[in-house]
Amino acid sequence: MNGTALAAVPAIVMRGITKRFPGVVALDDVSLEVAAGELHAICGENGAGKSTLMKILSGVQRPDAGDLEVHGRPVRFGGTREAEQAGIAIIHQELALVDELPVAANVFLGRERRTALGLVDDRTQADATARLLADLDCTVDPWARTGALRVGDQQLVEIAKALSVNASIVVMDEPTSALTEAESARLERTIARLRARGTTILYISHKMDEVFRLADRITVLRDGRHVRTVDRVATTPREVTGWMVGRDIAGHDGARRRLRGDRVLEVRDLTLPWPGHARGRRLDGVSFDLHAGEILGVAGLMGAGRTELLETIFGASEPTWTGSIRLAGRPVRFTHPSEACRAGVAMVTEDRKRLGLFPDLDVAANVSLCSLTKALRNGLLSRSAEEHLVSGPIRATGVKAPGPHAAVTGLSGGNQQKCIIGRWLLTEPRVLLLDDPTRGVDVGAKAELYTLIDGLCRDGLAVLLTSSELPELLALADRIIVLSEGRLTATFDRQEANEQAIMEAATGGAPRVDGREAQVPT
Amino acid sequence: MPSHSRGAGGAPFLRPGEWTLLAAIVAAVVFTALADSNHSYWQRPLDSLRDIARNAALLGIFALGSTVVIIAGGIDLSAGSMIALSGTVCATTMLALAPAEMAGFKPVGPAVVAAGCLASLLAGFLVGTLHAWLVTTIRLPPFIATLATLVGLRSFARALCESTTAAFTPTKSALINVADPFFKAVRDNVWVPVAVFALLAVITWLVLTRTVLGRHVHALGGNEAAARLAGIRTDNVKWFAYVFGAMTAALAGLFYVGNESVAAPVNQGRGHELNAIAAAVVGGCSLSGGVGTVPGTVLGAVFLRVVIDAVSKIIKTGADVYEGLIVGIVVVVAVTLAQIGQMARGGRRLLPGPLGLCAIPTLAVLGGAVVAMMASPRAGAATGIGAFVLLGLLRRWETRHTAVSAS
Repeated sequence: MNGTALAAVPAIVMRGITKRFPGVVALDDVSLEVAAGELHAICGENGAGKSTLMKILSGVQRPDAGDLEVHGRPVRFGGTREAEQAGIAIIHQELALVDELPVAANVFLGRERRTALGLVDDRTQADATARLLADLDCTVDPWARTGALRVGDQQLVEIAKALSVNASIVVMDEPTSALTEAESARLERTIARLRARGTTILYISHKMDEVFRLADRITVLRDGRHVRTVDRVATTPREVTGWMVGRDIAGHDGARRRLRGDRVLEVRDLTLPWPGHARGRRLDGVSFDLHAGEILGVAGLMGAGRTELLETIFGASEPTWTGSIRLAGRPVRFTHPSEACRAGVAMVTEDRKRLGLFPDLDVAANVSLCSLTKALRNGLLSRSAEEHLVSGPIRATGVKAPGPHAAVTGLSGGNQQKCIIGRWLLTEPRVLLLDDPTRGVDVGAKAELYTLIDGLCRDGLAVLLTSSELPELLALADRIIVLSEGRLTATFDRQEANEQAIMEAATGGAPRVDGREAQVPT
Repeated sequence: MPSHSRGAGGAPFLRPGEWTLLAAIVAAVVFTALADSNHSYWQRPLDSLRDIARNAALLGIFALGSTVVIIAGGIDLSAGSMIALSGTVCATTMLALAPAEMAGFKPVGPAVVAAGCLASLLAGFLVGTLHAWLVTTIRLPPFIATLATLVGLRSFARALCESTTAAFTPTKSALINVADPFFKAVRDNVWVPVAVFALLAVITWLVLTRTVLGRHVHALGGNEAAARLAGIRTDNVKWFAYVFGAMTAALAGLFYVGNESVAAPVNQGRGHELNAIAAAVVGGCSLSGGVGTVPGTVLGAVFLRVVIDAVSKIIKTGADVYEGLIVGIVVVVAVTLAQIGQMARGGRRLLPGPLGLCAIPTLAVLGGAVVAMMASPRAGAATGIGAFVLLGLLRRWETRHTAVSAS
């Protein structure tokens, strides 16, 4: 088969794909054509059906109706292996690697190379893996334990795994959601290399800058339906975002000045040791002030110490830190989150599913959890008192739920996050620590969260906010501090902050090669 | 998504699965009444009721403890050994305080009985504390920590029994007879364990659904890391759960001493921890934590005892012969039924691939052998062949059905 023949036949044709789950139509009569060799972006809010469509394409799920053609041949995948044989590889949003196995074993998992005796041929696998990784500009040792790698390198291992099946079609499901800027840039070089080989790429993302930098064509899904497919050059990010949410959303107007109140939190020389790690310290001499009615943004790459900073203030880290933290002038040293909670410090954690949400408790119980004593009548929890208690924060944060006793797992990511913010508002905090609060939240809900956070701050709350998205910090924060390798490398006022300056401070000026941590100068 | 919540707070008293369990209990009783050729449910209804009530209450008491531990995301494998230790501590305390009366099978007096019972409950508190300490500070997995005490406590109880009898009686012994009228009364008045069980169930239910502590137990089991970050003192919640688990087992241990008029550390309560876990699981607890109810466990315990009683009535053997087999089958069937809807929706097959193929003769032989032993070889053969054919048809249907839906 030569290149022109390939280009004439679309790589993928989907016609009338429909998939129902109990109570939900995930995909409703979706048709899509992907030309061979193109990079086709699929955009949509969470729950729009992007991932389901890709799971059908890669054989993970079977459609209830509809036809699928790959390179002109009708196909019907009974499982992922059949899709692989048809040349389709998928790089999942959640990494599907076995932490305890070496890199090479992960790359060939389920398709192990064998020696003449039928034993696993580790050497051949390692050599092949090394070649694949070298192609990706990655110098990870094929024998290294996968769990010991940084997330960005794990992502590349996942990509190497996809390439090892000689895929002509690669599906990438939000590949940069866990990557730093440098790692994202490396991924983009990899994508360019794949495209040079003629690989067709389906790229799922809701980051508009990426989509508009990479894609040839863009397909927008909303509520399981195909909204439209357009050439990238014929549209704008704002237009695409509008199609995704079904309305034109205005960018958050965070430029309105807030009134800064008294100093509430005073952190001096905060240092958190990191036993057994080359860097030695997770946090190294961090000092800053936080005032009432102020949003202080914390910028930094993954692993810079953002979460550690918030957890140390909240009493959730190992109690081995040195330095001083003063809350409203009084020195504090929380050894357990419950003490922070009582003192008026609240923390919304980074990983909502793992560290925030209680899937077995209903909406009301998720919101009331930290303030249950307020729902007691005669020493026992009262259903009506609890409903009354949570109705306030549910209204204030704008949670959309069928009722206070609905299952929290049935809510969208944005509404779950509002429940958790509501939980902490009930504790009447003075300081609110928000660790990447809009991660995994769709575009519409992000804007609502921004308005909510802005409103809380105007009511006099002191907010410490981290985010993996710089535009978010630039839009929301009054001031931004930048962490790099655990050290505070810069403080910006809103006026002087821009992405370029923050990234320079976040990378500490030290060159970052191959996505590895730059060595700390000692 | 279903609109009802599976966790604590604001749910109806009985959930759908629990109604099913209740219906299954009634069905099992009716079936036994009809199928039992001795008609014991008609002839001696009170005797049968008493048997089932006593056994279900004894099992239920420490199954409630296991339920709390399981909802909190842990597991307590040591309940059977705790039962043995509790009985031994009670008997040795009484022996030490009143050696002459104990040796002469005479009443020891209420003060001595009370001392024995309190010592047992104290032992439960200490064992629960030990578990919580091992789990929270040494960070042993609960399975390992309670496996260690499962093995260790029984041996400890025996050693305690032997050294105490050596000190206070002429001969060293691995069991102590308990003849005090208090324990006789507990044995003869079946309403005592039933009332204790009912009271304990109500208290446990109130604690789990209507107190802050209970909500924290659910939160801890559902998501431990999030619970800590929500300011819950998770270590203290675990302490409560393990102490509650061990103290309910200690309480049950006292009833076993009454029932059997002896403290016998070697065999008393052996394997009972698994029955307690089974009752909780049949009642809807999830071993991954966060999910479970008191009504569910109560019904689970009753259901297990009703089925065990049914089998012993229908095939006229000692209940203990088939007890383990029945518990095993009931657990598998109950959990399978709870998941079968989800399996069908997810397109999962019961008998897929080569594993499914091998499972057909495995299940057929197993079913046939059980029936052959319980009833007759002929019935066993019929069951085996029947199961083989039915499973074969099921597999064919599944294969064809998946092929059809895919084409």
